[in-house]
Amino acid sequence: MLYKLEERKNVIKNIFFEVFPNLTENEFGWEKQQKNYPNWDSFAQLNMITFAESKFNIEFSLDESIKIKSATELLECVNFHLK
Amino acid sequence: MCEFSFKMNIINHLKNNVEKNPTKIGFIDENRKITFYELYEMVIKFSNSQLLSTNEQVISLISENSISFIIAYLGIINSGKIVHLIPPNISEKNLKNQIESAESEIIICPDNSKINIKSIDSNKISIFEFSEIISKTGKSNKNHKMNQIAYLIYTSGTTAEPKGVPITHDMIDFTTKNIIKVLNYLNSDVDVLPLPLYHSFGLGCLHTSIYVGSTLILLKNSNNLENILDSLEKFKATTLAVVPATLTKILNIKNTSLNNYFSNIRLIITNSTSIPKNTVIEFKKILEKGNLATYYGLTEASRSTFMIFHENTHREESVGKPAPEVEIEIRNPDENFSKLGEIWISGKNVIKNYWNNQIADQNVKEGWINTGDLGYFDDEDYLFLKGRNDDIINVGGEKIIPLEIEETIKQISGIKDVVAFGINHEIFGQTIKVNILKEKKSDLDKSKILTYCMKNLEKFKIPSKIEFVDEIPKNEYGKVKRFMLK
Repeated sequence: MLYKLEERKNVIKNIFFEVFPNLTENEFGWEKQQKNYPNWDSFAQLNMITFAESKFNIEFSLDESIKIKSATELLECVNFHLK
Repeated sequence: MCEFSFKMNIINHLKNNVEKNPTKIGFIDENRKITFYELYEMVIKFSNSQLLSTNEQVISLISENSISFIIAYLGIINSGKIVHLIPPNISEKNLKNQIESAESEIIICPDNSKINIKSIDSNKISIFEFSEIISKTGKSNKNHKMNQIAYLIYTSGTTAEPKGVPITHDMIDFTTKNIIKVLNYLNSDVDVLPLPLYHSFGLGCLHTSIYVGSTLILLKNSNNLENILDSLEKFKATTLAVVPATLTKILNIKNTSLNNYFSNIRLIITNSTSIPKNTVIEFKKILEKGNLATYYGLTEASRSTFMIFHENTHREESVGKPAPEVEIEIRNPDENFSKLGEIWISGKNVIKNYWNNQIADQNVKEGWINTGDLGYFDDEDYLFLKGRNDDIINVGGEKIIPLEIEETIKQISGIKDVVAFGINHEIFGQTIKVNILKEKKSDLDKSKILTYCMKNLEKFKIPSKIEFVDEIPKNEYGKVKRFMLK
């Protein structure tokens, strides 16, 4: 189980690089919104949720899964489950 | 039900063996051996039993592999009745359903193992042991008229609802002749059979041995690899019939030189459950003088294709070409998968209808049966299977064949087995779940599997759920029981 915030952030950042293989370090942003990622469609959203659930051993509700629109929102959701 | 006499059927072929080779040992099981003459005598005694002199059309037989099974099977046929074959490990509920559907009122079982089934009305159903039937033999009745149907099997394979499949003597004759023609079975063969006779694959092997007059070695347990290998050596076997999983397990036996066991083998025949490519390649090396072959078929359309791997390089995943006088069509091809579609089969090996099942009969139209399997032909007309139509997973409109996911994940080191299937999802309709059986010492975690999938599959094919399991439910032929997963 990952408890430290920095560790969580690193994991989430890596999830983004896994789900968007062409994403560069410069193109990643914590506040960058879904609409600004060219490949962030519904399938990418599903992959992102699946990765986060397996990495942190948690399970998101459908509502949570839908509302995540940025890396920060994913982090907040993970934090909520791990608190 | 129509009844008529046949010029040639399985009983006639047994008679031929008696005339040509009466003292030849035709059958060996784990307890005894028997000549063709002795077997024929027992079959006649069995069929003349007063206990079978009823008006019943169907008689149920529940038994493991044994010479007694063969006597009972042929005896029932020779008495002009239909054999309803029941697996000994059947659940009580399924047994009750089958007996009711088959309208059988007699069950025959081995000596000293009379079944006691609470759910069966003993006032309506009689249960007899083999020796009881034989002991009540009466005068020879040469006027037995053969039923058009030889046997009835309920398919329990990969679907939830068993369906009765009536197999006629004509179908047996057509299929057996094709097997002999394509795989060159010989009178001099010694055939080792660890497959159950109550299924189409094993029963087809019995018919083949009787047709050519070879010697059949019956084993009870296909998981007893030591017994299989010892039998190959002891009897100098020339053919072996097994499911692909048995071949893969044999390859994993350590500290054993397999070449010695298989030195006399000229043919290994297996069935259409996908064979791992590596198993095919390794067995091609082991069988220096022999052939590894497979076939594709259903109980409803037995042995519809054949594939001899030694004659074809780089087609280890194909089930071969249609059998002689069997036609196969790929219908309703999906635009997303070039040439992939439903497999339909036509030929004298195809049933005309199911047993008292009008719903299932809808799959049989104008001599063609919809197998429910998906596949495609390559440029040289070799057939490749890609799973079941019912198993296709629809993720937000994208159609996914589970086999593709399974084959990708199997490439990850540390995975013993995997099955992919659809689960309901509120937004996508379905998403993919995979159940994974890890190797014992594997430290694989879900993230590693997802990472591998991301690199090797399109994003709509990435599983949304991964579960590590202790077992993947499969039937005796190694086919996954998918209905148990959903």
